Amino acid sequence: MYRTFFRTLLPLLLIVALAACAPPTQPPAEAPAEAAAPEVPPTPTPIVTEFGAGQLQLSYWHGLTGADGVTMQAMVEQFVADNPDISVRVEAMAWETYWDKLLTSMVAGSPPDIFILHEFLTQGYARQGVLRPSGDLYVSGGGSLPDEDFKPQLLERLDYEGVRYGVPLDNLGWGVWINRDLFEAAGLDPDTPPTGEAELLEAARLLTVDANGLHPNEEGFDANQVVQWGFAVNNPTNTFQSVLWQYGGDIFAGDDSLLDEEPALATLQFLTDLIYVENVSPPPSGFDALQAFGAGQLAILPYGTWGLNFMRDSDVNWDVWPMIQIGPAQPAARMSSHVLHLPATAEGERLEASKRLITYLSDNGYTWATSGQVPARFSVQEQLDPEELRAVIVFAESFNAQGRIETPHPLKQELNAAWQPEVNGAWNNVATPEEALRTANERVQDILDRYASE
Amino acid sequence: MHTSYTPDQPTARPGTWKDWRWYFGNFLFVVPFLTLFIVFTLAPIFYSIYMSLFDWEILARSPRFIGLGNYADLLNDSLWWLSLRNTIYFAFLTAAGNAIFALAVALSVNQPIRGRDYFRVLFYAPVVLSVAVMGIILGWILNTQFGVLNYLLMWTGMPAVPWLSSPRLVIPMLSVATIWWTFGFPMLIYLAGLQNIPETYYEAARIDGANAVQLLRYITLPLLRPIIMFVAITQLISHFKIFGQPYIMTEGGPGRASFMVIMYLYQTGWRFYRMGYGSAIAIGLALVILFFTLLQLRFFGAGADEAN
Repeated sequence: MYRTFFRTLLPLLLIVALAACAPPTQPPAEAPAEAAAPEVPPTPTPIVTEFGAGQLQLSYWHGLTGADGVTMQAMVEQFVADNPDISVRVEAMAWETYWDKLLTSMVAGSPPDIFILHEFLTQGYARQGVLRPSGDLYVSGGGSLPDEDFKPQLLERLDYEGVRYGVPLDNLGWGVWINRDLFEAAGLDPDTPPTGEAELLEAARLLTVDANGLHPNEEGFDANQVVQWGFAVNNPTNTFQSVLWQYGGDIFAGDDSLLDEEPALATLQFLTDLIYVENVSPPPSGFDALQAFGAGQLAILPYGTWGLNFMRDSDVNWDVWPMIQIGPAQPAARMSSHVLHLPATAEGERLEASKRLITYLSDNGYTWATSGQVPARFSVQEQLDPEELRAVIVFAESFNAQGRIETPHPLKQELNAAWQPEVNGAWNNVATPEEALRTANERVQDILDRYASE
Repeated sequence: MHTSYTPDQPTARPGTWKDWRWYFGNFLFVVPFLTLFIVFTLAPIFYSIYMSLFDWEILARSPRFIGLGNYADLLNDSLWWLSLRNTIYFAFLTAAGNAIFALAVALSVNQPIRGRDYFRVLFYAPVVLSVAVMGIILGWILNTQFGVLNYLLMWTGMPAVPWLSSPRLVIPMLSVATIWWTFGFPMLIYLAGLQNIPETYYEAARIDGANAVQLLRYITLPLLRPIIMFVAITQLISHFKIFGQPYIMTEGGPGRASFMVIMYLYQTGWRFYRMGYGSAIAIGLALVILFFTLLQLRFFGAGADEAN
């Protein structure tokens, strides 16, 4: 009996183990549409690449590992062809790995000659004394980069205690990608973005369809069997902040958290209601909005400039809008920037060579624009070909008109990590919008208070 | 009285120069390990205790001594308590699940059945995976939208289950994933313990009419008690240090539903550069682990006394 018992148990365990490992070889004939992921081939970026044979070798680190990384490699390759005395070792790694490695290299006193930080990190790094001021690369400091060719608010964010750090490579940020075919099938005009809560809601209802072809405002709609979503509430950093600014709010101002104020609650309540009351958006956790868009199962995707190559590789008849205005106060779209930096230890001929590379990358922003990112220089933006780079032009115009950069703070990363999971929690039904914002407000205020007391 | 096994072996307490030479020779053999242990384990432990007494930003040139300030902040830090609660829940769930599941599998593959060695290797195999590989594989399987598990469920007409995106399910599912990944090691420990139980005990019990459940209850489990204690303690310590699984599979979400202490430590030290506070979190977690380990020792120790 003892052996019989275990002889029965063993095959069962084996089946469980194998079932966990083995995907089905044949898709079921009537499998629901949600289960099919689109096949969009990724464009790999080599982790380490050495360009040129010049005796002076620079190290250049960044986290551009997608299709934009390949464009960056091509730019560096062209730079060493034009500057044969310099060779460049480019190390591209996922941002998460990149931050660890960059920090470690700085602690060890051996940072790369050039590296990229997002604009909102600049003050934090400058505060630690690990960045070299870059004012001398601009015309105002004796260099060649015209100051007025950059977005003034962006340059302001690169100032810490009156000193400018870094050179913006691009303006990246948030907008809306749409599936034109789904709009036309729903009887909507894909060239007319909705404005305001009511218009967005109406469009999203028409674009959300369940397995029986019903919309969320129709009797019998099954929220558990949605085959096509109208909208995707996702990404606290970009969607929440953009809409919050549209409602006239912000995360904090000075030493005060503003997440307990009405604009924050109105923003979070509306976006959360799109998921749980209106049923026009799925909860974001576990839902890959980009893949769903690529599979034709999502009509309106708030997403960034970096989505261009994904869209090009997909079969979707896509188009791009500036970030739609949902809140009543003003249009706003979160934008940021990849900023090229020099370490505080840079000196001598390596420093001069590094400056040449940074200036070259800035001057050749058009090539960078082919990756989907908006070049930071206005003069380059004006040259963009509407046929080839319409999406980049739409984003460029959007950022110039309504682009907004996060309020700077030396503890920016910590502040963002304090409120973003709480907003995500509300969107995933972990807490109500009021509870989430109360917690987020307390955490943000704690950090602001700690900084103020230092 | 001088007791020795060989003419060259010294006394238990070295007294003569000859004795010291003998001991010194032996110490030389452990020097390589001891050096590495001191440099990479012991010194960092003491250094992190030292760091925890400072407001120590990793890139700052001059850390500021604040005494026990970081520990006082820790006691009032809601994120510390939230992550600790999640970690304790996960650690106990996984350690208990692992201890029971590994024992069940060990009992199975200890039977004289055909292909026994093959099964042992098969069940041990997931242990050799790195956490990144395991996290990606299980993340795919459990993905709400495109996961294999939901694919099969929906094929049978059942609704998709938000395995990793439900705040109630996420820690149990991380636990299941971790058990699948790690149960091979305790299974091996159990197997070693089971093979040390003389077959004669079972034969005698069978002659007396004992059934399978009685054999398990009155012979196997009591004689495995030290092994179970070892597994329970090491598993609990191990799972208190969870990091890779939620970092890769859930990023601590949804919300902060799977946000663990080591994630908080990593974030504090490597994203916010606050090494002093990060060290205080590490020391805090070590004290919590120590507390639960002592509790376990007391629990199992009392049980062992009763058994004796």
